[in-house]
Amino acid sequence: MTRPVAIVGVGQTKPGDRSEVTYPDLVREAVQAVFHDSGIDPDDIESVIFGSMPSMMEGVAMNHFYLADALRGVGKTFMRTETCGTTGISLAFSGYYSVASGFADLVLVVASEKVNEGDAQATMSTVAEPFYQRPFAAGAPGMYAMLPNEWMWKHDIEEDACRDAAATLSVDHHRDAVRNPCAHIRREFTLEEVKSAPVVVYPIRLLDVCPTSDGACAVIFASERIAKKMRQKPAWIKGIGFRGDEYVVGDSDRVESHCATDAAREAYEMAGITRPLEELDVAELYNPFTFVEMLHMESFGFCEPGTATARVLNGTFSREGTLPCGPSGGVLCTNPIGATALIRVAEIVLQVTGRAGDHQVPGVKLGLAHGLGGVNQFNGVMILGSEL
Amino acid sequence: MRGRVAIVEVAQSPGGESDEYYLDQVYRVCREVLDKAGISKDDVGTVVSAASDMFHGGVSCANAYFWDSGGAFLKNGSRNDGESLTSFLYAVMRIASGHYDTALVLGVCKGSENPSTDLCTHFFTDPFYQRHIGLNETFAAALQMRQYLDRSHVTEEQCARVVVKNLANALRNPYAHVKKRVSVDEVMDSPRIMDPLKQMECAPKSEGIVALLLASEDKARELTDKPVWFKGWGSSLDTAYLGDRDLLDCQLKAAAARAYQMAGIRDPREQIDVAEISEPYAFQELLWCEQLGFCPPGEGGTLIESGATGVDGDIPVNPSGGVLAMNPYVSRGLYRLCEVVLQITGQAGERQLEREVRTGLAHGTQGFAGQFHAVAIVEGGQAK
Amino acid sequence: MLTVNKRGHPILEAEASIPYELAYGPTWHRFFEELKQEKIFGTRCPKCERVLVPARTFCPRCFVDMGQWVQVSNAGTVANWAICNLAFFGAPFKPPFITSLIKLDGADNTFFHLVGGFDLEDVNLVGRIMKRGVRVEAVWERTKKGCIFDIKYFEPL
Repeated sequence: MTRPVAIVGVGQTKPGDRSEVTYPDLVREAVQAVFHDSGIDPDDIESVIFGSMPSMMEGVAMNHFYLADALRGVGKTFMRTETCGTTGISLAFSGYYSVASGFADLVLVVASEKVNEGDAQATMSTVAEPFYQRPFAAGAPGMYAMLPNEWMWKHDIEEDACRDAAATLSVDHHRDAVRNPCAHIRREFTLEEVKSAPVVVYPIRLLDVCPTSDGACAVIFASERIAKKMRQKPAWIKGIGFRGDEYVVGDSDRVESHCATDAAREAYEMAGITRPLEELDVAELYNPFTFVEMLHMESFGFCEPGTATARVLNGTFSREGTLPCGPSGGVLCTNPIGATALIRVAEIVLQVTGRAGDHQVPGVKLGLAHGLGGVNQFNGVMILGSEL
Repeated sequence: MRGRVAIVEVAQSPGGESDEYYLDQVYRVCREVLDKAGISKDDVGTVVSAASDMFHGGVSCANAYFWDSGGAFLKNGSRNDGESLTSFLYAVMRIASGHYDTALVLGVCKGSENPSTDLCTHFFTDPFYQRHIGLNETFAAALQMRQYLDRSHVTEEQCARVVVKNLANALRNPYAHVKKRVSVDEVMDSPRIMDPLKQMECAPKSEGIVALLLASEDKARELTDKPVWFKGWGSSLDTAYLGDRDLLDCQLKAAAARAYQMAGIRDPREQIDVAEISEPYAFQELLWCEQLGFCPPGEGGTLIESGATGVDGDIPVNPSGGVLAMNPYVSRGLYRLCEVVLQITGQAGERQLEREVRTGLAHGTQGFAGQFHAVAIVEGGQAK
Repeated sequence: MLTVNKRGHPILEAEASIPYELAYGPTWHRFFEELKQEKIFGTRCPKCERVLVPARTFCPRCFVDMGQWVQVSNAGTVANWAICNLAFFGAPFKPPFITSLIKLDGADNTFFHLVGGFDLEDVNLVGRIMKRGVRVEAVWERTKKGCIFDIKYFEPL
């Protein structure tokens, strides 16, 4: 059987426009936070794993060379994992396998992005190959706007209801973010404000879209032996699942996405979950766009295909609902891209260990963290629990 | 590490420039390794690739581009950027964790579509200080070589000998990019592009796609009668600014120590039968040999002069021709490992060493003057 | 556009260019402000007491915030150098030029910059001058921009 793996510490930066500090200083903020949180001696770390978005984001290639010192990576076993938007969750997987395999007992995983220094949408456009798709690429919103349109059409979802549900998610997430000191946009909005915000790419409006955030996140993975000696309660990794889809966007159905459903199924099987809506206590979905979050609620089996709109409107996924989604305010309020999916993991760790402070959901035992990359091309799911 | 993991099959593309579409090349190499092992794509548990966006023809998120061409459609997989030997370790860890029986390791770099290696490595620099001085890997190597010549008994001629040896070895390697018989004088007379470095002492820019199929112990026995077992792995990262480092006191020593300890190697020169080392600059083969413990510090020059690192020597280094003969920047570490596997399984063709090859070492390095090093130890023969 | 490469095969000529706004942060900011005043500053680690140039926010070894700012000398000794005879992307000047790691007096590490101020085309002269341990001193640009090339190069004394 697989060796149990725990997360014994998390560290986050204060995200936002952080042009008052250099990139290495921002990364160091998260690294110091994780050592402070865990009480672990940095010398005891055996292996450091790091990743971010592509070099074009900040104009530094293989930036682990530049960030080596800030990562406390000097003299350590090192590995860099990077899978675009899923980078953060893929990093968590790298940390998990390092411990589960017996290669290491204590692993530091760090992810970061200083999105304000470059042009994220220009970078995203270069993800499309130059022969065929790049000339059409309109950054991430352009590509992601197509999914909800197709979804509404497919399930005959009334457009007004869908609009209301997306706006409800935006209002809820922005309200939640006010309680989270590690959120970027901490300001409440009304339904009317969301629905009358400028259109970015129809039907996505400005308040349906994540902000441009600088930020970093650090997480320490540990073996059972070490986790049980820690002063504070660890979070245990109960399940993991990941899938990657075809590259060319037109080649596969990205609405009823096998990539997303299979990733979740793999994680549920490992965790022994058969009824996710009832068994999970909290979820942090990777939701840079309100509309797309509803697709994943369906893909992950929180509700039947085509029913997420109604479920959102009846409060199933709000803070007080059956399965609160995004109590941190989610990606919608904070998106330092390379770090974003690792922040989902960190937030679930805080929730299952009861350390989420003002945005703690009461009585959480089992939670789901999600990473999303490409145009729904990559989905990663990690289930974390309070018990081994 | 829990459980044993073996390399079952390898496949690689030749290094010259081709005008093939990149994704077709990726597909063909993956196809080849699966066909050799006699399994289908659906039987592969997980895929771990190595690619770098900086060396990827201007297409970002490299993993997105070649994901399905690399056999990973709807699979659980991942991609490591940076030194490709880390992808080997990651695949080993995925199998050792008990989650998978098989893993495909893929290294991709279509060098012919990239700008010069120096242009790419220039962007490793911090944007405020070292970048403006024009730092790139060749520059850092020239500084390192100066220090090496200054502080040890190694001569420029001894460094040049590495080129003579490796390019001659490459004559017998159908996958090498640059292969020819050259003399020490020719190397010494080639333009001193970054004095003391000469042009012929610098590796070319090659394209290279390489795939290795890994399996758990039980599965490996099913798939091959010549498994090559994972024995040890080590790596280490150095600090960001050249001015903070002693360029001759590299992290390779730490990386090797970790790998040797894991593999139970006490006397590397005695216990290792073949070493494939990443030497993008000729003198580095000598310096790396010292730090790998093949000879005492400062004796790298004497080592090559004695013939010990030749194909007939007691510690053959780079029988494939090494990185000087074949330099797909990102996948070059996996190319080293691929050659070691071929030598251990007796499939190295014309360049097969005459001695018995049981234990091999593969080394990869990237960054200024070797800012990152990785060492992998593998061993042939049936499991005990 | 569709064109052909030097071997006559079809290729797409492509280029990507993206503008950046890179945060200096307080440490680089002060370092470059001081540089404009022709002063080279390092920072001292309160733990290992090394003075590192250029100034750092934190000590890479001890991982603690750097303490005191320390002005180091504008002069030092050459620890290492390489002569570039090849034009390349990112090169600060047309070759030949010499990059060097210079141990500035008062610093505990070496500083990466150029050595110049003499005829670099003259191979024999370069050979006579460039040796480990040779003393050099910063030569300054008249108009300062707050960048690393406010120091033109270091000139042998």
